[in-house]
Parts: sequence; structure tokens; C-alpha cells
Amino acid sequence: MQTLEVISVNIWQILISLANLVILTLILKKFLYAPVRKMLDARRSTIDAQYADADRAKNDALAAKESYESKLSTAKDEADAIRAEAVADAGRRSDKLLAEAKDKADAIVRRAEEEAELERRKAADDVKREIADVSTALTEKLIGRELGDKDHRELIDSFIDSIDSAEDIGESK
Amino acid sequence: MENNGQKKDRRFIIIDRLYLVMAILPLIVGMVIKVLVTPASEGIEITGARIYFTIPMPLQDLPITESQVNSWLVMLTIFGLCLWLTHGLTERAETKRQLVCEFIVEKTDGLIASNMGEKYFSHFGPFIAAVMSLSALSSLITLIGLYTPTSDMNVVAGWAVVVFVLITYYKNKCGFVHYLKSFANPALLTPLNVISEIATPVSMAFRHYGNILSGSVISVLVASALQGLSKMLLGWLPGVLGDIPFLQIGLPAILSIYFDLFSGLLQAFIFAMLTMLYVSSGFPADDWEKLQAKRLAAKKVKTA
Repeated sequence: MQTLEVISVNIWQILISLANLVILTLILKKFLYAPVRKMLDARRSTIDAQYADADRAKNDALAAKESYESKLSTAKDEADAIRAEAVADAGRRSDKLLAEAKDKADAIVRRAEEEAELERRKAADDVKREIADVSTALTEKLIGRELGDKDHRELIDSFIDSIDSAEDIGESK
Repeated sequence: MENNGQKKDRRFIIIDRLYLVMAILPLIVGMVIKVLVTPASEGIEITGARIYFTIPMPLQDLPITESQVNSWLVMLTIFGLCLWLTHGLTERAETKRQLVCEFIVEKTDGLIASNMGEKYFSHFGPFIAAVMSLSALSSLITLIGLYTPTSDMNVVAGWAVVVFVLITYYKNKCGFVHYLKSFANPALLTPLNVISEIATPVSMAFRHYGNILSGSVISVLVASALQGLSKMLLGWLPGVLGDIPFLQIGLPAILSIYFDLFSGLLQAFIFAMLTMLYVSSGFPADDWEKLQAKRLAAKKVKTA
């Protein structure tokens, strides 16, 4: 069988080889690069979508956390305000109660004193009257006759008054 | 439903096998043809490709030789490999072969991006991959005893012509006048520039073809020398033992690792690299950008 020379140039063979390379390029483009690129693009888009999802979820979580924290801080402030108000209210109320109680007690004491005074006066009047009666009776007995009621009673009363005032002086001493 | 899925699975496997057969069968066919046409006893001779038949053509007859047939077989193999590799691609990369084809695509893209820039040549992947795979596999089929198409100058010259066309196309992007002017860059060196322009594809073709051919020539020479030496030194052995070239054990294998494996892959890589460098350096990117900007401005003026 014939063989070519080691070095031989043939235009048609060159053209065939040229066409071979072009055809192989097209084959590789169509059957290797196109499917692989398509797959890579699909993968990229899925990965991008997943990243976007992750970002969105993260942002949501951050927003939720922020609102939660702000709510928490406002809640604390609110609680502080409420407590302060309550404390102030309680203080005010207790002051008021105390004042009222003091007033009441004072009133009671005053009334009691007034009553005591009244009682004392009454008692003093009673005593005066009785003393007057007794002394009248005594004097009638001693004198043996009835005193002219009006004059004598005045006399006795003035006497008792003098005693009274003397007593008062003694008391104040 | 499950039955349907199983059926689909079986169909998938059958198609898978078919693709694999398509990738391997051409090489087996090549070996069978080689065995059928090679005469039984052959002395040591250094020749070109075997001619199967000749087609009469104008200008020059076209002999269909081993190099053409083997090129086609290699192309079929690559086609089958492509189909097999990309069969059943998923977004989640469930198979090893998917990693392989992703690796191929990403590596060639990365190589192009680093050698040619990402801006204008991102679509060059398939071409560079075609150059590399065709060249490497053509050189590597000597490992299964087939004639390497790359040791036929016509084959590599065809590729070099493609590269030359590409270089010229990209040089002409700024207009033919710009292309002509680029030769007269220093006006005195114009003839040299023209010569170097033509020398580019010639040198590319000769480099590749010469390396591969010289490798096989050296291998044959060393093997025949070792046979002669063996006959001289060990010819006294009785009977059949004297005819066995013992000295051929070892050294030719190591030479084959260098010339067939290493040199073949290296030449494929060099050819692809030179293609990328020549095409990208031939493209006047700055002038092209200026021209584009000017055209854009003119368009704006026109519309306004």
C-alpha cells in the first residue's frame, strides 16, 4: 500500500483539516459548552435566589428584633412611669389620709375638750346652785327665817362668784 | 409512578452506554483498520501516512490517508465524550463526570481570561478547547498504535490557517486601512512585518508537526538501533532466543513517555497558547474602543 512522503503538502488535506477544526469547535460549543454554561447559569440563578431569600429573612429578623427591642425599652419606660406615678399617688393619698386623720383627731380632741369644758361649766353651775341652795337652807336654818329670796340669792351668788374667782386664781397658780 | 421512574432510569443508562460506546468505538475501529491494512512483516522505514484511496480533484488529487481517517475518528471520540460528559447534568453536580466537564469549561475560560482578557474573547472557549483536545488526542493515539494525524503537516497546517484567519479577522476589526497601516509601523520594517505575519502560521504548523514527527522518528531510530545492537550482542543465543531483541525492553518505553505523552500534550498546550496570544495581541483593543466611542458619538449626533 502506498504511503505519503514524510513532508508533503496537499491543499485539499489542509482544507479538510481546517474544516475538521471548525466542525469540532462547533461540536464542543453545542454539546459541551452550551449545556454546561446553561447548567452553570441555572445554578447561579438558584444560588442568587437563595442568597436573596437569606438576605430577606435576615432583614426581617433584624427588623423584628429592632421593633421588639424598641417595644421592650418603651415598655420599661412605661412601667417606670407607671410605678413612679403609683408611688407618687400613694404618697399623696397617704398624706391626705394622714392629714384627714389628724384633722379628725384634732376635731375629736377639740370637741372632747369643749364637752369637758361644758361639763365642767355645768358642773360648776350645778355646784354653785347647790351651794347656793345649801347655803340658803343653812342660812335659813341658822337665821330661822326665810330670806328675802331675791336679795339673798344675789348676795350668795356674788359670794360664790368671789369663791369661784378665788378658786380660778388658785387653779391658775 | 415508581415504575415510570425506573423505566426512565433504564433509558438513561442505555443512552449513557451508547454515548460511551460512541466515544470508544472509533478508536477500536481505527485499530482494526490499522491491523487489517498493515502488511505482516515491515522493515524499519520512516514514511508519511498510509494512503487508503485517492479522490481525483482539481488542482491536486486528494489522497484519503490515515491522518484524515484518524482525525475523523478522534473527532467522533471527542463528540462521544462530550455527549457522555454532559449527559445528566444537574445543578447540584451529582456525578463525577459533571465535575470533569465543569472543570474543562472553567479551566479553558480561565485560561482565556488570563491570556486574552475577559472583555472581547470570552466566547473563545470552544475554539481553544477544540484545538487542545484535537491536538492532544491526535498525538495520544500513538499510544494505541495508530498513526498520529499531527505528524502529518497538512493536518496541523489546516489548524494554523484557521488561526491565521482569526488573527487577520481581529486585525481587520478597525478597518482594512488600519490593518495595512499596522504593517508600516516603523516604515522601514514593512517587508519584515509582512514576512513575520506570514511566518506566524507557518511556524506554528511546523513547530507542532515537527515536534511530533521528530519524536516518532527518534523512537523508530532508537528502536531499530537497539534491535541491531541486540542482534550483535545476543545473537549467539540458541534458537529463537537469538532473534528476540532483548535490548528493546525499557528504553523505547521511556522515550515513548517523553515523545508521545509529554511532547504530545505539551505541543497541544503550546499551540493553544500561541493561538490565544497571537489573536489577542493582533487585536488593536485601544483603537477599537476609540472607534466604538466615535461611532457612538456620531450615532448620538444623528439621532439628536
